[in-house]
Amino acid sequence: MSAVETVPGTSTPSRKRSKWDEDEGEDEQLTYVPQPKKRAKPKSIRPAPSASENVDSSRSASPSGSQSTGSTSRQKPTHSVYVPPRTHHPPIQASRSVYSYERLNQIEEGSYGVVYRARDKQTGDIVALKKLKLEEEKNGFPITALREIYALMSCRHENVVGIREVVVGDTLTQVFVVMDFIEHDLKTLLGTMPAPFLQSEIKTLMLQLLSAVRHCHQNWILHRDLKTSNLLMNNRGTIKVADFGLARRYGDPIGVGGLTQLVVTLWYRPPEILLGATTYSTAVDLWSIGCIFAELLLKEPLFQAQGELEMLSMIFKLLGPPTKNSWPDYSSLPLGKTISLPSPQPHQFRTKFPYLTSAGLDLLMSLLTYDPEMRITAEEALEHPYFTESPVPKHPDLFGSFPSAAAGEKRRKPFNSPTAPRGANLNFLNDSNLSP
Amino acid sequence: MATLYPLASLAQIENTPSKQDGIPDDLEEDLRAYGCKLIHQAGILLKQKQVAVAAAQVLFQRFWFVTSMKQFGVGDIGMGALYLASKLEECPIRMRDLINVYDLLLQRASHALVGKSVDMFQYHPMSYFGNTFYDMKDALVVAEMQILKRLGFNVHVVLPYGTLINYLRVLELTNREDVCTKAWGYLNDAHQTPVYALYQVPTIVCAAILLATRQLQIPLPSEPPACWWELFDADWEDVWSVGGSIMRLYRKRTEEEKNRVVGLVNKKDVRSWLEENAPQAGSDSTSAMSVT
Ligand SMILES: Nc1ncnc2c1ncn2[C@@H]1O[C@H](COP(=O)(O)OP(=O)(O)O)[C@@H](O)[C@H]1O
Ligand SMILES: [Mg+2]
Repeated sequence: MSAVETVPGTSTPSRKRSKWDEDEGEDEQLTYVPQPKKRAKPKSIRPAPSASENVDSSRSASPSGSQSTGSTSRQKPTHSVYVPPRTHHPPIQASRSVYSYERLNQIEEGSYGVVYRARDKQTGDIVALKKLKLEEEKNGFPITALREIYALMSCRHENVVGIREVVVGDTLTQVFVVMDFIEHDLKTLLGTMPAPFLQSEIKTLMLQLLSAVRHCHQNWILHRDLKTSNLLMNNRGTIKVADFGLARRYGDPIGVGGLTQLVVTLWYRPPEILLGATTYSTAVDLWSIGCIFAELLLKEPLFQAQGELEMLSMIFKLLGPPTKNSWPDYSSLPLGKTISLPSPQPHQFRTKFPYLTSAGLDLLMSLLTYDPEMRITAEEALEHPYFTESPVPKHPDLFGSFPSAAAGEKRRKPFNSPTAPRGANLNFLNDSNLSP
Repeated sequence: MATLYPLASLAQIENTPSKQDGIPDDLEEDLRAYGCKLIHQAGILLKQKQVAVAAAQVLFQRFWFVTSMKQFGVGDIGMGALYLASKLEECPIRMRDLINVYDLLLQRASHALVGKSVDMFQYHPMSYFGNTFYDMKDALVVAEMQILKRLGFNVHVVLPYGTLINYLRVLELTNREDVCTKAWGYLNDAHQTPVYALYQVPTIVCAAILLATRQLQIPLPSEPPACWWELFDADWEDVWSVGGSIMRLYRKRTEEEKNRVVGLVNKKDVRSWLEENAPQAGSDSTSAMSVT
């Protein structure tokens, strides 16, 4: 096999799509060989393309023609919004050391990753450092950790926690995600605030949450672990979706093999996953948002179940058991036949949420809908009349501020919700037939 | 907005780490291309999705703007890049399969190196309990981690194929299957060059269209003020430069040049090559560079 021998233009779209062709055949050699500037080192890359510069006038001449700067000078079109100038792209940059930060206090202990509050030694900025769990070394860098970083980097949004960089410690197993520090998480806040959120405040929070999740979905990212402890809130009334530890890309052009089932913390887990569905999509996040909406109204989690069966029966109780109408595909789910349904009964939403307007109730029920196909999307929910009826959403600046537990101003453990079955998910590669 | 994919800075381009270590430009270029070729061949043997292979090649090319080939071999890094990109594209591959495939490719290449015919080649699979397997496994894990670290975990890759289709549509060339095929092929071949780590996707796609249409002698509006590439925000000079990088892949190589890269897949081979060759070969270009 010869080293660098390539025939131009041999890989055709159709051949590529079907298989990987190794032998590259008979194609004719190109006759035309441009001679771009002696040796086309990319010297032509200019760090800052200026608005006007000399453009070669012989550009239409034969390709072997001279490419030296011509005499005519004219206005170069400014870049459109679709193609930012090259200089807007970051350079290729290695991870900095975690010692660029001074550790202040541990924000959260106990759960999976350890999160610290820290100070950037250069800028003085206060940040949050999340240490990734990398013990599981059998398959190299864990795919879950990759997804978390990838999702944070590709879902930048006003209401998604900002990732600043990824830094490394002394050994290969120490990797930290550096994020903007956000004072509160919604779970702690709900447990410690004296009065529940007002309707106008809930609307603002829901709009923010929905627009963040719409953004993720537009970027082909499923969050898969939305819950109040993964929603951060700053002192300016702004929510930031965090913890993309279970996130992943979906809708890849070619099938990716069943998505893993073990996702979403029990209390926020949608019925299709509880019933063993292997294909699911954006609708899982919308169910969780429904649970969060209810939690904001109730000031405590909606479904505080001990196990999956209890979880299902609580859902059946609130929504009424699923019917052929409300969920046509129910019986084709893996557990659809094994679980015996209670006798038909109406839903209990009105009893459970006596003070919610009918528009509010309609939104809640559209989110907490059995059939994922019928469940409202983030896009649609943002247009829901609930958000335009009185009282209108409160401006974030008018939210009061609260003492920050994360900054160590006050520390209290209100209630403990279970966490997503992440350990099991980490073994994703081992579960399948992929382990070496 | 998503994080923009990183591109090498001017300083990184002009003075690559390998160059600083005395590796001549043309050798670095050939080793990059050879490493990409190995990734491509491994992808075929593993029946891996094309997106994963293409992404691996982009990561591989970026890596050499922050690391010298004296420090890591193109074989190991190529293997690590393919392993990593397969996870990123949600089509992970087994470590063991990847290692086997690379072992086979490298054995086959060195077999050809000593001048024996390909028919005579017989692959000797390694033992899973032998040292080779464990050494390669270690190298793979290290390579993956080093790629992540040295790229700052910014492993976002944007592939050009969708853009090509759009541009051909705008240029009303979608009915010319030969143009589509040729341009697509150039985009694939460009993955053996550093251009995806240097230029934005629109520029590279324009270069592929330029090469394809010139080759097929299809005229496109190229007189100011109506230059077709400006529709896509590309600069002529950049498009031209990318075209040149792609075309250089096809230049004739001497047997010696071809064999040279096969013998330099590992960093230790690169090191001994440097000891023998560096003073003469590297001096000219490095001194020129150190001025900048
Ligand atoms: N950027 C941040 N700023 C402030 N606190 C944070 C930040 N990120 C996480 N936390 C705190 O750490 C907790 C755990 O972080 P999370 O990303 O959810 O990790 P885990 O995977 O362990 O659940 C959060 O519930 C929150 O209290
Ligand atoms: Mg969490």
